[in-house]
Parts: sequence; structure tokens; C-alpha cells
Amino acid sequence: MSEPDITHSSPPLSGMRRKVLVNFGLFFLFFFFYLGAAVVQTPACKSLAVLPVLGMPFGLLVSLLVFPVSWLLIVIWFKKAR
Amino acid sequence: MISTLPAFLFSPVFAAVAPDAAKGSTLDKGIVIGFILFFVVTSIVITWWSSRSTKSASDFYVAGKGVPWVQVGIAMVGSYLSAASFLGCAGDIGVFGIDSIWLSIGFFGGYMAVLLLIAGPLRNVGSYTVAGALHRRFPDDRVKLAVMVCTIVISTFYLVPQMLGAGLLFEMLLGWNFVGVTVGLGVLMSIYIIFGGMKSTLYNQVIQAVFLWIAMVVLTVMAYFIVGDGSFSGILKTAYETVPPILAGKNPEAVQAIAGLSAEQAITAVRQIMPTADSAMSIGVKTDSTLAMISTVIALVFGTAGLPHILIMFFTVPSARAAKKSVTLCIVALGIFYLCAIILGFLLFPAIYPKLVNWISQGASGVGLAKNMAVLDISNMVGGPWLMAIGAAGAVAAILSTSAGLMITVASSISHDLYKVYINRNATEKQELGIAKITTLVMSAVAVGLAVLLKNENIAWLVMLAFGIAASAIFPAMLATLWWKRTTRQAVISSILTGLAVSTLFIVLLFVKGVKYKFLGLSVAGGPGLFGVSASFIVLFVVSLMTKDTGKDPDQFMALAHKPDVD
Repeated sequence: MSEPDITHSSPPLSGMRRKVLVNFGLFFLFFFFYLGAAVVQTPACKSLAVLPVLGMPFGLLVSLLVFPVSWLLIVIWFKKAR
Repeated sequence: MISTLPAFLFSPVFAAVAPDAAKGSTLDKGIVIGFILFFVVTSIVITWWSSRSTKSASDFYVAGKGVPWVQVGIAMVGSYLSAASFLGCAGDIGVFGIDSIWLSIGFFGGYMAVLLLIAGPLRNVGSYTVAGALHRRFPDDRVKLAVMVCTIVISTFYLVPQMLGAGLLFEMLLGWNFVGVTVGLGVLMSIYIIFGGMKSTLYNQVIQAVFLWIAMVVLTVMAYFIVGDGSFSGILKTAYETVPPILAGKNPEAVQAIAGLSAEQAITAVRQIMPTADSAMSIGVKTDSTLAMISTVIALVFGTAGLPHILIMFFTVPSARAAKKSVTLCIVALGIFYLCAIILGFLLFPAIYPKLVNWISQGASGVGLAKNMAVLDISNMVGGPWLMAIGAAGAVAAILSTSAGLMITVASSISHDLYKVYINRNATEKQELGIAKITTLVMSAVAVGLAVLLKNENIAWLVMLAFGIAASAIFPAMLATLWWKRTTRQAVISSILTGLAVSTLFIVLLFVKGVKYKFLGLSVAGGPGLFGVSASFIVLFVVSLMTKDTGKDPDQFMALAHKPDVD
């Protein structure tokens, strides 16, 4: 059974800090938006969630925005993580 | 309040529905059977075809590591979309209203952690199983054992509801025998895993995912223009006027008043009878706990990144970059799918409101029926019996593709991480493959047996537990191994055991105290997400600082995990 070859891998640790920043930075951006959107949609934040924005309640809007925000972050990630 | 969020999150489908429950719908059984036969025959042909090129362990476990990223991306969609996604996401909105949109969004969000934190490095260091990746840095057999136990528990908790769902769906739609259906499904999946391995599983998942995805998109687009008149604001306006079926169905006066009315008339009539009732746009009809919501979100985001049947798919592509591309494709496809499910859920009000209310009025089994049948019913309304049959077949496809992924994961884990490590270290490739195939049969029998035993129980919370265990036991250890040079062997093992222990506590509480019991304010049915992940990370961090065994050459491991991408 073959195991991954490590003899030919270059040591990219100099770029590691940047990679950590980009990957974790974008992930936390997503996570806090995602968690925030979820919390807005609970009874605890009802008064905020029902505010009309762009023809729909704010809670619904931010919840639906999770989709395009994710896709946008992926585009940024593919550009930054090259 | 009806219930806490997590209890609902994974309860939309197959929560104890009475046989013959589909009475009243105009399902064309011949067409449904035709589509199901199509899947069965296709699976067998694909299995026969892929068995010719499945020779080595690498072929069986990871399809030779050379599968194109597009194919793996689509297969991931198939592996992830269960019947709960296809029928339950929209159906739940149709019952409870806006509170249920997070069922769809929750499922969707999990893949971001997979993409940004796990996919690339895991592909670079892994071989066949999730345990193998951790073991590469920490060559301690106990690491493999701990991850293997988690893998089996997670996959079983995920698999049993799938089998149960398949049996109930067939019983509900076609009146077929529950035991016969689950046994048949188990046999079919065993055949295509045993003979075709991962290659066959991937091909089948691709076909099933494409079918499922197209069915959802076509159905939503048709319903959007036929029922919703192509206006999203109009759909929301109707939802604002609608009394959620879960409330209207419990009001005998409302149920009586809507007899024979159209959906539009019924919405107006119920509102006149219940003028102060919440609307389908009201928050809190179902959700009553912010803590439960946070726990669920944590379990979903981190749990997806710890689900072994998802993670092993990265080993089937040729490179880390290909793994990232396949996850990206999966995220885009899932996003469109779940967005459609949300829109479709709101379209259920102007389409089949009287039916939803009538189903709810039948009590607990009626609630399950409304969640399960709503999507099929709107399919019939906008596309006739053909579209309804396609919808039913789509649900079957979802169950098949998810279950197959789970079964091959357990088979790989037992043969590679248990048999080869603890029972027969000198096992040949042939012996190892033999064990994987036997495991597939045993796992299939166990899942069928448990599904039959638990048929009358509402065990949908098992899936939530699976996400919770994956988030608590696998994700922190995996993340630290792949990204933190300072983490240690002892810390990784402690973290896995802590996650597993907290999860076990929740499982025990669920069985002893019941699904409504709350532990430190958190519903146990919501799973151990919040507590499990926090405890696991704390233990990981503290033990890492207290111990020194950072593994076999951590610098070289990190260099391998994060080597520059090449196509």
C-alpha cells in the first residue's frame, strides 16, 4: 500500500504564516457571519430580525446572505491562496 | 413554542409515519417503481463495469486516487444530501414557517470549514482513512483505535436513520413491506461496495446526485412560476398572512372551515378564525433557545469537517488542489440546492396549505406526514404524476448515495485501522480487502437490524449526534494535527477521548432521560456540539502545553501537509 511521498515535498513553512492568516481569517469571517445570522433568527433577537430591509425581514435577509457570502469568500480564497 | 431547534433540525423526515399515509395523493406507483428500477439496474451495471478495474486496496478504498475532481465534487453532493435534505428541508418550512430555514442553511454551512481548513492538507498527508492521516504524524496505534471507534459510532448513527427512512418511505408511498425494503437496500449497497469498491460508490453517487439536484431545481423553478407567479415578494406576502400549519392544524374550527377551499381561500379563512396567531414569518413558532441554536451551528460547521465519510473522499482525487476544487463545486451545488429548498418551502403555503393543515390535524403521525409528503405533493401539483414520481425517486437516490458512502467508510476503517493494526499486522492486501468486504456485509446487517428494531422510535436525533461527535471528537484533533506544530500525541488522544466522552454523556442522557431533557440548559437532543467542541479544544490546548511529544518530525509533516498546490 502506498503512502504519500514526502521526500519530494518542498518546505513551504516560510509561507505558512500567510496561509494560516488567509485560511483562518476567511474561515472566522464566515463563521462569525454564519453564527451571527443564526442568532439573529432566534427569539432573543426577534426585534432586530423583523426589521424590513430590501423588502424582506432582516433575519431572513442575513440568513439568505450566507449563500452568496460563502461563494464570495471562496473566490477571495482561491485568489489569495495561490 | 413547539420544540427546541436541534430536535427539529434532523427530525423532518420519517418520524414515525403511519403506513398508507400517502392516501389521497395521486402517486403513480408504476412510474415510481420504474425510476427505482432504473437506479437499481444502473447501480448493478456500474458495479459490474467498475469491478473490472478494482484490483488493489488503493482501487477499493480510494478508487486508485485518480478520480477527476468534478466527479468527486458531484459525488460529495450525493454523499451529503440525504432524504432529510430533499424532502425535509422544504417540508419543515411548510409546517413551521420561517424558523425552519436554518435547517437548509445549517446543512450548507458545514463545507466551508472543510474547504478552508481541512481538504488540502488532509489530502496531502492522508492515505486511505481519516485515522491514517493522524497516525502519519503520531504513529501511535491508539490514535488509530480512537478515531476508528469514532468513525464507527458516527457512521452508524448516520446510517441507521437512512435505512429507517428508506423503509418508511417505501412503506408510505408504495405500501411495500418495511423489512423487505431495508433488507433489499442493504443487499443492493453491499453488492456495489463489495464488487466495485469506492469507484462504484463514486459513480453511483454521481448519478444519484445529478438526479437529485436536477429534480430539486426543476421542481422549484416550475413551482416558482406556476404557484408563486414568479414573484418572491408575493410569496413572502402570502407567508406573512399564513397561520403556520402546525398551529392551524391544532385548531378544530380552522380545520373544519378550510374543507373544500383552495389554498388562497384557506389561508384567508384560517387568518379570520385565528387573527392574533403567529404567521409563517414569525420567529419563535419552533425555536425557543439561542443556546441550542449556537450548539447546532457549531455541530454543523465543525461536524461536517469531521465526518469520516466526507473526509475520505479527498483521498480519491490526485492532488490537494483537486480536493479543494471538488469541495468548491460541492459548496456551489449545495448552495443552489438548499436555496431552492427554502424557496420551495415557502411555496408550499400558496400551493397545498389545506393539505398541510389537514395532515397536522391528524396528530403526531400527521406532522411527520406533512414534512415527508409536502414536496411530493407540490411536485404532483406543478408537474403531475411524473414529477411526483421523480421526486420520490430522488428521495430514494438520496438515501442510497448517503448510505453507500457511510458503509464503505466503516469497511475501510475496520479493515485498515483495526484488522491490519491489531489483529493481523502481516495481513496481505487480499486479506485486508476480504475483511473490508465482510465488514460491509456485517455493517449492512447491523444497520438493517437496528432500523427494524427502532422502526417505531423517532431516532432522527441520531444524525444530530453524529454531527456532534464528529465536531467534538474528530475535528479538533484533525485541525491541530494539520495546522499546529506544537500539538502533541497525548493532546490529540486526550482531545478525541474528551469529545467522545462528552458525546457519550449526551447519548446516555438521551436514552435515560429522553429527548426533552436539558443538560446545563442545552437540550440533549441538540447533540453535544457546544460543550463537546469547547471541552475538546480546551483539553487539546492544555495537554499540548503540558506535554512534549509533537510527533514524528512535525516540520516535515507540516511541509508535506502544506506543500504548494499543483494540478
